[in-house]
Amino acid sequence: MKQEFIVIREKETAARVQNTRINAVRRKDIVKKGVRVYENGKIGISGAIGDISDDVLVQGAVENLAAGIDYPYPLTENTKDHRNYNAKPMTSEELVDLAESILSTLRRDYPDFSFSETIAAYEIDMEMRNTAGLDLKYSDAICYLGLILKEKKTANLFDGFISCDGRQFDLDKFWDITHQVLEAYRTPVALPPGDTLPIISFDTSGTLDFLRKSLNGERYATGSSLFSGKMEQQLFNEKITVEINRNPLSWPKPFFDMEGVVLKDDRYPLIAAGKLVGVFTDKKIAAQYNLPHTGAAGGEYDDMPGIDASRSTPLPLRFKSDSTDLKSALKGQPAILVIASSGGDFTPDGSFAAPVQVSLLFDGEKVVGKLPEFTMRSHLYKMMGEDYIGTFDNDILYLGDLPTQLQCCCMTIVR
Amino acid sequence: MFKFPQGLYVDVRIEETFDTKISFKKLELEAQKVRTNKGAFIRIFDGNRWYYSSTTDVEGIQEHIDALAKMAAPNPDILQHPLVQAFEVHQDTLLRHDQDSVTAIPVQKKQQLMESYLALITDPAVVHHTSYYVDNKTIKSFYSSKGSAITFDKQTCGIRLTLEIACGENKDQVTVSKAAENFAGMQGLEAFITEEVNKSVAFTRDAQPVVPGEYTVLLSPEATGVFTHESFGHKSESDFMVGDETMKAEWALGKAIGQELLTIIDDGGESGGGYTPYDDEGTKAAKTEIISRGILTGRLHSAATSAALEEPLTGNARAMNFEFEPIVRMTTTYIAQGNRPLADIIAEIDDGIYVDTVKHGSGMSTFTLAPARSYKIEKGRITTPLKISVITGSVFETLAEVDAVSSEFKLVTFVGGGCGKMEQWPLPVGFGGPYTRVKKLKVQ
Repeated sequence: MKQEFIVIREKETAARVQNTRINAVRRKDIVKKGVRVYENGKIGISGAIGDISDDVLVQGAVENLAAGIDYPYPLTENTKDHRNYNAKPMTSEELVDLAESILSTLRRDYPDFSFSETIAAYEIDMEMRNTAGLDLKYSDAICYLGLILKEKKTANLFDGFISCDGRQFDLDKFWDITHQVLEAYRTPVALPPGDTLPIISFDTSGTLDFLRKSLNGERYATGSSLFSGKMEQQLFNEKITVEINRNPLSWPKPFFDMEGVVLKDDRYPLIAAGKLVGVFTDKKIAAQYNLPHTGAAGGEYDDMPGIDASRSTPLPLRFKSDSTDLKSALKGQPAILVIASSGGDFTPDGSFAAPVQVSLLFDGEKVVGKLPEFTMRSHLYKMMGEDYIGTFDNDILYLGDLPTQLQCCCMTIVR
Repeated sequence: MFKFPQGLYVDVRIEETFDTKISFKKLELEAQKVRTNKGAFIRIFDGNRWYYSSTTDVEGIQEHIDALAKMAAPNPDILQHPLVQAFEVHQDTLLRHDQDSVTAIPVQKKQQLMESYLALITDPAVVHHTSYYVDNKTIKSFYSSKGSAITFDKQTCGIRLTLEIACGENKDQVTVSKAAENFAGMQGLEAFITEEVNKSVAFTRDAQPVVPGEYTVLLSPEATGVFTHESFGHKSESDFMVGDETMKAEWALGKAIGQELLTIIDDGGESGGGYTPYDDEGTKAAKTEIISRGILTGRLHSAATSAALEEPLTGNARAMNFEFEPIVRMTTTYIAQGNRPLADIIAEIDDGIYVDTVKHGSGMSTFTLAPARSYKIEKGRITTPLKISVITGSVFETLAEVDAVSSEFKLVTFVGGGCGKMEQWPLPVGFGGPYTRVKKLKVQ
């Protein structure tokens, strides 16, 4: 009987902020363990939170074999890869000092705003090993600042965000952009004329969520994906590449999937030069539908691994940056930098609409003022096709030392 | 039980959970998970700052109390602090599910129930489906240095089906969910499932793109629930109001913000997803009329916001689980039942939209509803299915646009989702209400 062990240890110190002051300090120290056993093409799984002994968990997993769940796929074997992406995590004391310093400056320089939420330091160690020689370990530590800001003169729940995530906290860069953004918040400006305007987003998660549904190998194979039957067809603008990207330097998450698979260069392309070149699969879906295996299994520590497993571990899809000069790409036209767009969605056939609650006017080099609320509207194939301008490395809006991107396309504006 | 340090307020919340999750791909069993877990959240207050610790080491709670106490500055007057004075003290044991506990139902029986429902999905347009049965029983114990000692339980069972539908080039992914407080409540859902599958297939096959614009919108009880939660519920969470004079002035109690037909209630004592007989600070559940006959009459509070705004406690300090501190959250929030028959309300709509089911919603200054199934209303009749990306309205104006609520009324509870507030998502809540007509909303 083969056995497989997953251990996740998470520690966090969080300064909880209310009205620009720390009102609480929270410490977390959580252990989660999962065990899988494999016998005669079946899998048994058990798990627990807390430091429960392996023997107890193995016993639970063996009992779970009785459920008769098939898993006739080869385990990932003989792979050792230990990676530590931050050997010098921020201590609790350093975190609280950093938070006090930032909040003190915000209180002094921006008394017309109040700031609330979290400044935190987070550490994770995740191990996955099995009796067939798999031995993976991911260690990392990041600090993150996520503050909602509220203009004291408005009756809104909140009026915007400032955020910064990274393994180190570059205060100079943080203040440089934060001063610029907060000054822009103080400067109301009108929407530029025109029914169609360039929209810049640093959060591409809405589009990627929709693509994640359509690039799911099982949906593709069963005919329910928008892209079913379109392999090798040109779907989008030829600049666009979308890939599975498990490089923790891009996204601070484990570099392996929940079946212990490590991708070559931590990447796997699904859309290349605008063409559909792949759909994502785990071992089961690849075998069942005769599709290439892309190491896309997700799930919690004690879940059956799978591509539709848990929303808490979405597959790390990412656009590849394809353009370098945002100012030139805008050709002198003012653009809208979206800060908060909550609640929008795609229809199943790709029509898109979303209210933009907070946005800033961008002149090609800097943000110059806060825009009124509006709604943006388009269609997936237009946003990623004729109206696509490019995906750029974000060297304009410092959001921490994790590489972020700005994506730009034209959309219809509903005022 | 615990040795509480002098000069500090301390509370300890211990959560013991039993969970089952049985997953399927079509008719094939995909996973069968049964777990029992325990974790604790400890809070210490010194009159100036809170110190929290979340741990899976339940045997070591005393050590966590002592470690947090070392970070705090003891305050001999802590009991006179207005916030500490606001904390209620109760000794109570409220175990409602000893007789119908999901822990006593064999996992095979739960699996068989799900298999019987999955056998009903035979329409060839449903090209694939994944699904699960899930249950949870949580026993919460709460102890405070003021003398509270409370234990209560809460239980949910539910099913969730994700249907992949393809009718030629028309495709959709549809979710069907139903929940109850015990296993018996999950029996007899055959007609519900068959109807939902049939409606979803017909919708995918026939839905047309909406012509964007402003419409009169009729909301089902489910959509009314999301609307109420997003358009006003979050505004009533008073942590947004503490220290904010503009918010206090805008949302002053006594202000008229809707027509007389509109009453909105939050009730932690209501059975279902939002059931919270004691909140996570030990405050007993209250039935709070947030809006009474169109007038703003209440807000939702934790002890901190109650003390800061000098308003009564409401039992709305809730944490997602033992990893988080309680913050102000809704419980079961709904528009009160009206007195007009649904048929009369529809008959008055000449050109409008009916929203049957909703994928998600959000509630900043502009609130949103993303409909799953919606239909055109023409000359008083519900007609063509419509594909809609999003419906939006201003939280400051829309409640005044509610001009009819029906005598038909339903509260709903789902599994597999919940309310999100910053880092704490998903928190189970209950919602629902009557059919509600809103005169004017933007539809895209």
